[in-house]
Amino acid sequence: MIQTKNRQKKAITLTVNGNLHKLNIGDQPHEISPSYTLAQTLRETLGLTGTKVGCDQGACGSCTVIMDGKPVLSCMTLAIECHGSKITTIEGLADSITGKLHPVQDSFVKHSAFQCGFCTPGIIMASKSLLDRDPSPDPHHVKEALSGHYCRCISHYQVVEAVMDAADKGGQADE
Amino acid sequence: MNETYRFIGKGTPRKDGVDIVTGKARYIDDVRPGPMLHGKVLRSPFPHAEIKKIDTVKAKAAPGVRAVLTHADVPPWMTGMPRHVKVLDQRVRFVGDAVALVAADTLEQAVAALDLIKVVYEKLPAVFDMDAALAPGAPRLHDMFPGNVVSDFPAFGPNTLSKVVRGDVEKGFKDADFISEGTFGYENFANPLPIEPPGVIAQWEDEQRLTVWSGTQSASWHRWIMQSKMGFPDIRAITTQCGGSFGSKNYAPQCMFYAAALAKATGKAVKVSYTKDEHFGAFVLRLGSRFCGKIGMKKDGTVTALAGEWMVDNGAFSDMSQSQIAVGCGEAQLVINCENWNLSTKLVCTNRCPAGVIRGFGGQELESAFAPLLADVMTQAELDPVEFFKKNYVKPGGQYIWREGNLWTCRGKDYTKAMEKGAAEFKWKDKWKGWLKPTSAEGSQRTGVGVGIHGNADVGEDDSEAYIRLNADGTATIHASVSESGMGQRSSLCKMAAEILQLPLAKVHMTPPDTLVNPFDFGLVGSRGTYAVGSAVIDAAEDALKQLFGRAAPMLGVQSQDLETRDARIFVKGKPEQALTWSKAIGIMRSVTGYGEFKADYSVPNFLILFVEVEVDTDTGGIKLKKVTTATDAGRIIDPPSLHGQLFGALGSAGLDTAIFEETIIDKKSGHMLNMNLTDYKWRTFNELPEFNNIILETPFPTHRFKAIGIGEISTSPGPGAVLMAVSNALGKPLHEYPLTPDRILKACGKEKGNPK
Amino acid sequence: MKTFKHFDAESVDHVLAILARYHGKTALMAGGTDLIGVLKSEILPEYPKIIINLKTIAGMNTIKMVDKECRIGATARLADIAASGLIQKIFPALAAAAESVGSPELRNMGTLGGNLCQDTRCWYYRYPDKMGGRIPCYRKGKGPCHAVKGENRYHAIIGGKKCYAVCPSDMAIALAALDARVKIIGPGGSRLVPILDFYNVLCTILNPDEMVTEVRIPEPGKNTVQAFYKNRPREAVDFAVVSVAVRLERTGDVCKDACIILGAVAPVPYRAVAAEEAVRGRRLHEIHAADAAKAAVKDARPLSQNAYKIEIAKTLVKRALLSF
Repeated sequence: MIQTKNRQKKAITLTVNGNLHKLNIGDQPHEISPSYTLAQTLRETLGLTGTKVGCDQGACGSCTVIMDGKPVLSCMTLAIECHGSKITTIEGLADSITGKLHPVQDSFVKHSAFQCGFCTPGIIMASKSLLDRDPSPDPHHVKEALSGHYCRCISHYQVVEAVMDAADKGGQADE
Repeated sequence: MNETYRFIGKGTPRKDGVDIVTGKARYIDDVRPGPMLHGKVLRSPFPHAEIKKIDTVKAKAAPGVRAVLTHADVPPWMTGMPRHVKVLDQRVRFVGDAVALVAADTLEQAVAALDLIKVVYEKLPAVFDMDAALAPGAPRLHDMFPGNVVSDFPAFGPNTLSKVVRGDVEKGFKDADFISEGTFGYENFANPLPIEPPGVIAQWEDEQRLTVWSGTQSASWHRWIMQSKMGFPDIRAITTQCGGSFGSKNYAPQCMFYAAALAKATGKAVKVSYTKDEHFGAFVLRLGSRFCGKIGMKKDGTVTALAGEWMVDNGAFSDMSQSQIAVGCGEAQLVINCENWNLSTKLVCTNRCPAGVIRGFGGQELESAFAPLLADVMTQAELDPVEFFKKNYVKPGGQYIWREGNLWTCRGKDYTKAMEKGAAEFKWKDKWKGWLKPTSAEGSQRTGVGVGIHGNADVGEDDSEAYIRLNADGTATIHASVSESGMGQRSSLCKMAAEILQLPLAKVHMTPPDTLVNPFDFGLVGSRGTYAVGSAVIDAAEDALKQLFGRAAPMLGVQSQDLETRDARIFVKGKPEQALTWSKAIGIMRSVTGYGEFKADYSVPNFLILFVEVEVDTDTGGIKLKKVTTATDAGRIIDPPSLHGQLFGALGSAGLDTAIFEETIIDKKSGHMLNMNLTDYKWRTFNELPEFNNIILETPFPTHRFKAIGIGEISTSPGPGAVLMAVSNALGKPLHEYPLTPDRILKACGKEKGNPK
Repeated sequence: MKTFKHFDAESVDHVLAILARYHGKTALMAGGTDLIGVLKSEILPEYPKIIINLKTIAGMNTIKMVDKECRIGATARLADIAASGLIQKIFPALAAAAESVGSPELRNMGTLGGNLCQDTRCWYYRYPDKMGGRIPCYRKGKGPCHAVKGENRYHAIIGGKKCYAVCPSDMAIALAALDARVKIIGPGGSRLVPILDFYNVLCTILNPDEMVTEVRIPEPGKNTVQAFYKNRPREAVDFAVVSVAVRLERTGDVCKDACIILGAVAPVPYRAVAAEEAVRGRRLHEIHAADAAKAAVKDARPLSQNAYKIEIAKTLVKRALLSF
């Protein structure tokens, strides 16, 4: 008979935008419940409200963050299962000291590739992740990479232009 | 000749752009004005029922719970036109209607407490469509609306349009060469569905002073409109960045009632933030619309008469449906220039999620229902629809009765050239093969084209006020009650002011959307941002400059009219060396404030034509949108990317795709909304984008300082009818149901049985 | 989301021990893209007390060939399956099925085991509790199937009985055509179950004390071709209205053997035996493809709103057969 360690983790560590956080699991105000999603934890516990929750059911892409190099939906991810992960959110893209925008962010501003802007952080994270993997995608790849992102204002056309433009510039923001 | 401008017409980065792309932009769920409780709503399992008993004892005793409210103990506030919607009622009228409210320390505690409220209902029979609601003996939803017909309401004054009666329809039909008659509906109750669910935070500062934060399209509505519904408290309304609205979040009266009632009961700030389920199932949908009547037309396309009844389904209650009916009646006249009208309307309530204010505002609903009838009469006459639309929209000098009941003469511009340029870009003449004829047919793939038009005279609706404060440091601050829900209008208003004041764009700012610090403005509705709000801001800027020059003139020993300014320096015209800084002219301990206003003007309608090409797969019933072209005249483009964004919006917010796949699906027996999530409610993804071109002309409109006119709202409206036409042509068969699901397409292809023989 | 206790699984045995100890009060979590939605909406009357995270079991996410058999671990991500050179080369239908699931983000999260075991998308079944109360139904153990007399455009046209919800898994359809087997481990040891036998009308045959650890797919013969087609309202973030997976063994242009599986037409993946017969031993000309298409839906008994699925199923079968 195998000895079962039926114990819940007492704490997790997350590296978010380069900062290491230790979070205790529990039901006290400063702790996170095992049922907390990553989105909830980023927004409520760590105050990183740049990650947006749209549908909260994994169907709109607005909560997308980059976890261990891949875009994932933070609303459908339990924080307790992210122990040891490296997470990048929209707050982690610009240079933290100079404030210089990431080339994708810069391109989005230049193209006004947003209207209400609520879906934008998720779209930017997915776009950034795409360019990290494939620095010169064609528009079809961009659309496919963003196919899980809902935008009701229809910023799509300007988004595709912005991502293509950022790719053309080889990931360098204009000075 | 067009003037040349420093900022106007140039694509400049949105002033909130960096905030948006870095996640700093704050939406309602991102703000924490202070410690607050969380409010939740217990919702009805039945489409129609009387609450016999509610037991809240256990819920009140649950951990963290601060208040539980039922119909017996909420404040007596009322909304609806006329007032018929309480904060909570003893009667529930749709599945998901509010039954009780809970406020607790945490959201989880509030949700948990909902399960502890025990309700005894007496079920009542329910009606889910207009036929059932109007049938003799139908259950009545509201005591004050016999027969479930909602009474007229003077939303725009005593003569508010609820019908169009002009000329002599009998004579008109006699003069007609062709007559079409029938009943057609646009009753898929699509959801504008901004990505962000609505939310409100309310806090009472004292008995009479209420502060509300909301993620809505208009701070003003949460003060000036809500005051009258709540016994005139002094409301300070603040809006955060709004994650999309399309009219639906102009305000959120229910959320605000719930938050304010719970805040009153607990003495604390309370946040009510809807889940996406609630956003789908208990917020607002498009009106249901059905037209039953006939149209007469001459061979040359002159419409001789239009008569019939427009039936409108507003669901469980009516918030602004009569306003939408009034505007719809007006907009129909803008696109069908006809001397003889007898159009009546009927507003009906049914046991489903209520309708609300939505982009297209009545006109889209009426015109979409009307589209098959128009198509039929044009088919009879074998008229090219582009020629028909060009002939029949209201041109300068043409007349229409607008929403408030007055007859207006159009002072706008001729859109014919825009329509022709759009047709040329789209290659309409090559693609149009005649009515019910495909553009191409190869195997199971058939393509077809369609066209639609929409116009709106609300671009100058309602009043606006603005202040501009010139500061000694060479900056300017615009005070206007304008929220940002995606149009980029806050940036565009800064551009207009910067152009007048000749300040760098970075030196012009706007106060936050907060009614405490801003004068009245009706908000960004009906494409009024450019003309109405813009004119007030421009007026204020000019007033401020006049005062500034008034101060500077004696210092420079010249007359005011001899002065000009650039980058916060004042010059004598032609003598740039004779100059003064703003700082000197204003004085470092002073400022200069200009006031501007705009008074409603319904004489300048805008128009937009939209062409679509579709490919229909007759073996799967699938529709692929291949190409969309819009064409319009904006007078003068203020900000190109923002305007293009508004036009691309034709594909969003319950617009064009309401003809292809968007619909709210409700169980016809139980009234449950079944597709209230973003998987089951269909929307267009990135990899299904058609080629999309916008043709925007710039014919100066003298009504505006920069010769501009607003266009944004109307792009969604011509799409549904155009798609119906395009698919009908592709298949060679008239189709008139929205949306054109595979089921309907395959039926039209004669494959409805489907079963192998 | 209501809270629960959360355990990271250390091994399959560890999972079995937890399942045995907290019998029926647990839920297995892999990618979470389905389960978390089920929990958030509280669609089921029973809420799990314990969530067991399977992703922490080492080595259960691999894709490898062992003795002419491809073994894919239950926690292999759909994105990894879709991108695997091995899968793309030997099982293109499976790669296509994986690629058709959800969105790139969902595929980065969702796993093979999770895709096979996900709960149905029936909209009555998934009605969120906090919008007036969940809807009891046959599948939940109480009441009728509301789709029969209600809104049934996406429900079963074949083999519905008491519950007309369809199996939502795309991977199951491709795997069934590829003759795959599911490895199930329980207290009594392990067993290998053909995919088609893995499902029953109300879900899967998994007992509450069992789990799926792996899927095994035999290497197809040299002259085998395969295809997966999925019809859906939207080209991403959508479930199949109808899907078809086909595997043919051929000699020249003559079909020696065929396996044709339809998805989203029945409560379980549906093997269109009559369609297979229609093509077996024949040349793949259009006329036979049409015969096969007809035969594929011969048992269809559509509900009030879903007869159109028959036409789509026929079209997909035809197109799949003619794609080779």
